Amino acid sequence: MSSTTSTALWPWRVVTFLVWYAKEFLLANARVTADVLRPRGRQKMHPAIIAVPAASRSEAEWALISSLITLTPGTLTLTISREHQILYIHGMFVDSREELVAEIQEMEDRMLGAMRRQPGDLTRPVEAPVVTPAEPSEDGED
Amino acid sequence: MDIASFFHGAGLVLIFLGIATIIIAGIGLFRLPDLYLRASAVGTSAGLGVASIVLGALLMDFTWLNLLKAVIAVVAQLLTSAVGSMAIARTGYLNNSRPAEITHTDDLIRTRRDMFDSDAEPHR
Repeated sequence: MSSTTSTALWPWRVVTFLVWYAKEFLLANARVTADVLRPRGRQKMHPAIIAVPAASRSEAEWALISSLITLTPGTLTLTISREHQILYIHGMFVDSREELVAEIQEMEDRMLGAMRRQPGDLTRPVEAPVVTPAEPSEDGED
Repeated sequence: MDIASFFHGAGLVLIFLGIATIIIAGIGLFRLPDLYLRASAVGTSAGLGVASIVLGALLMDFTWLNLLKAVIAVVAQLLTSAVGSMAIARTGYLNNSRPAEITHTDDLIRTRRDMFDSDAEPHR
């Protein structure tokens, strides 16, 4: 939270976010393109669907972060849970859960820094959310 | 070499890059194993291809009005391809299109009530 992105002036944060996102977008494109063309046995993809805790609050922030994630080739927002503050992300190159979470959260930090004049509240849920479905009441399980 | 022919050449390069991107995205449709990989890789790669072609055309015939049109076209193309990819992927998940076998983690499956039924098939 005390990185340079949150303490710098607001217009500077907007510019650095746009440049950073353009760079990430092109790099991700190159990475996905290379893997599509690689022979089948040597493809590096490790797809996974990961629940990522998010710091977005308003409707606009949720809409923009999920669109930006989808726009980056190789990552895709499947759905969000505003109630639990979770983004469900399908990633194409997920070697570990932490890696994808760090990548998404860096993007969100930079995006929120660019959207808000004051960075404000950037806290995320720290515990893994327990989102098991409630037991169906009408029929018993055996 | 004057500046006009330089922009003309740069525009041609961008247009051919865009065409190559779209062709590779098309190959990806056949080579990627499931709906989600296709939606995430192809949806936005094709968006980049169209954006690159629009920018190439802008460089070959630059006016300020064309710049405005190109910016609007690129932003609209990227936004709609992102929203469309999300809608397709979400619909597929809700319609029980299971991720491919190589998908090693699936957090979203735990939120589905029907996958906890005893007679539900865990795979496919």
